[in-house]
Amino acid sequence: MELTLAIIVTVVGASTPILIAALGELVVERSGVLNLGVEGMMLIGAIAGFVVQFHTGNPYLALLSGAAAGMAASLIFGFLTLSLSANQTATGLALTIFGTGFSALAGSSYSARPVTLMQPLLPSGLADHPVGKVLFGYSFPVYFAFVMVVVIWYFLHKTRAGLILRAVGENDQSAHSIGYSVLGVRYLAVMFGGAMAGIAGACFPLLLTPQWAERMTAGRGWIAVALVVFASWKPFRLLAGAYLFGLVMTMELYAKAGGGVLSVIPSELWAALPYIATVVVLVLISLRRDASTNAPACLGKPFLPTN
Amino acid sequence: MQFRLEKRREPSQFMLYATPVAAVALTMVVGAIIFSLIGYNGVGAVREIFLTPLTNAYKWQDLGVKAAPLIIIGVGLSIAYRANVWNIGAEGQYIMGGLAGTGVALLTWGMTGWWILPLMVLAGVLGGATYAAIPALLKTRLNVNEILTSLMLTYASVQLIYYLIRAPWKDPMGLGFPQTRLFSEAARLPTIIPGTIVHLGVPIAVLVGLVAWFIMTKSVFGYRMRVVGAAPHAARYGGFSEHKTIWLAMLVSGALAGLAGVLEVAGPFQRMVPGFPTNYGFTAIIVAFLGRLNPLGVIIAGVVLAITFVGGEVAQTTIGLPNAATGIFQAMMLFFLLAGDILIKYRLRRVVPQQQAEAA
Repeated sequence: MELTLAIIVTVVGASTPILIAALGELVVERSGVLNLGVEGMMLIGAIAGFVVQFHTGNPYLALLSGAAAGMAASLIFGFLTLSLSANQTATGLALTIFGTGFSALAGSSYSARPVTLMQPLLPSGLADHPVGKVLFGYSFPVYFAFVMVVVIWYFLHKTRAGLILRAVGENDQSAHSIGYSVLGVRYLAVMFGGAMAGIAGACFPLLLTPQWAERMTAGRGWIAVALVVFASWKPFRLLAGAYLFGLVMTMELYAKAGGGVLSVIPSELWAALPYIATVVVLVLISLRRDASTNAPACLGKPFLPTN
Repeated sequence: MQFRLEKRREPSQFMLYATPVAAVALTMVVGAIIFSLIGYNGVGAVREIFLTPLTNAYKWQDLGVKAAPLIIIGVGLSIAYRANVWNIGAEGQYIMGGLAGTGVALLTWGMTGWWILPLMVLAGVLGGATYAAIPALLKTRLNVNEILTSLMLTYASVQLIYYLIRAPWKDPMGLGFPQTRLFSEAARLPTIIPGTIVHLGVPIAVLVGLVAWFIMTKSVFGYRMRVVGAAPHAARYGGFSEHKTIWLAMLVSGALAGLAGVLEVAGPFQRMVPGFPTNYGFTAIIVAFLGRLNPLGVIIAGVVLAITFVGGEVAQTTIGLPNAATGIFQAMMLFFLLAGDILIKYRLRRVVPQQQAEAA
């Protein structure tokens, strides 16, 4: 019982940043833009969040700084791919390379200096009982991620603005011809995705390991991108996918801690498992017939208004 | 003053080659400004990173050694990107090439013979190609995005290194260090200039670039890659199978990344160590783009990126610039290059305000 509860708590922690980043990317891709720079924006968000948490001790300010930093990084991507119609794949990769270097430089004087982890959101009385802890014992980002799943689903499918965003992603030329600003919508989507990736990155020092380490997101941004495909661009499926991955990653932690049966398998294989699982999941998804038909039709294609 | 983009009738050849040069120049200028703003000696940083490796003859050997893997991997990637195949897992294929070569070196440990090195190289090439075959298979059979699979496999291959050097391949005399034993003499790449660290991999890299240039410009293979990448519909009419092209592009780029890996492990490293993943596979993406996906351009771009690596180390010791700064300079180069690409298809025109135009 104790162990099961502990595992659930760890899974929730591991899943949350992936879910937040993937939600942002889902909105970006629904608008027809493929931003592969999630990993880079997460790293920039992680160092921004860490630095603010280190100096102020205010985790909400840290999350906000992560969001702002991720958004700033996404603007570089937006300017290149939207205003200058640069290749989206290459620009996303460049953003990841940039984010890796930038975060390493900004964090070079902070290594091995601890910060305090974010405290649970709700009053401690609720979390005293084990079951209460599993339901109410988390800090803000966990609940934020859940709320955002609903908010984004509602926005995309029930609001006029969401309809416009999807229209821009499905048929940019038509959306443009009936007077919507394709680039405007895409800029907003890209900035939202950047903010979410930044928050997701800030979750690493605030939620998971209370210190700064170079490349501490360890490919989670890429897993988030893969999850959007897995979820066939649907928010609720994203929730399921992120928690599935959180579970896979948590198995590694338990194997390393010497968790009986799990430790028979070399720890390196456990560490490789999330990445192998991503490949397996992508394969499974591709076997479904509707997989690719769900992708926004304009995904990854540049749009140049013909004035 | 306002500017407007105006479509060119045909892509500008001048801009195609001018933009990479401009990207490097802009990186130096903007880099100097940014690093000054954040409190470093910006001009000094640019001087040390971009110029010292060139002016200090002692650093030239480092340039050759660093440029070799970048060129070899970059040539492979440029062929794949030409065909619109987004292999970004070259780092993993490089690792698998290195591991395959290490396997041969350990199997033949203590033996002598001229055949050991060629066998290692063969193993490395096959190792890289085999690893690239996985995304190729998934892409052609199941239409799984090769960007994500090739990248995920990179993360997995890093763990494979850790496993092998911690358990089955661990040096029995290594005092517990997770690394393999030092390769025998016969499994080490010879240096070609006595007294330097310049190994056989350096001329091989140049040769790879030249051969690839010849193949890409003069053969049906090269034509196929370019046509499939540029005009998939026309390629289908012309009888080029898209699947076969994806396979070729992935295997060639994987094989070359594997070659770079085995040359690195047999050359500079001479044993498998945890630090073998050197990011060459990712930096080679920048090399391929900066070289305009042209093997000859890749040779030059490989040297440019090698300069930043060597210069980054110089700047670290002389002016205390953190090593991570190199990555920022490299990413900036790619940003500026991608931003400049618009000038190939469009030209900037000044917009003359209406009244002014009427008055004139």
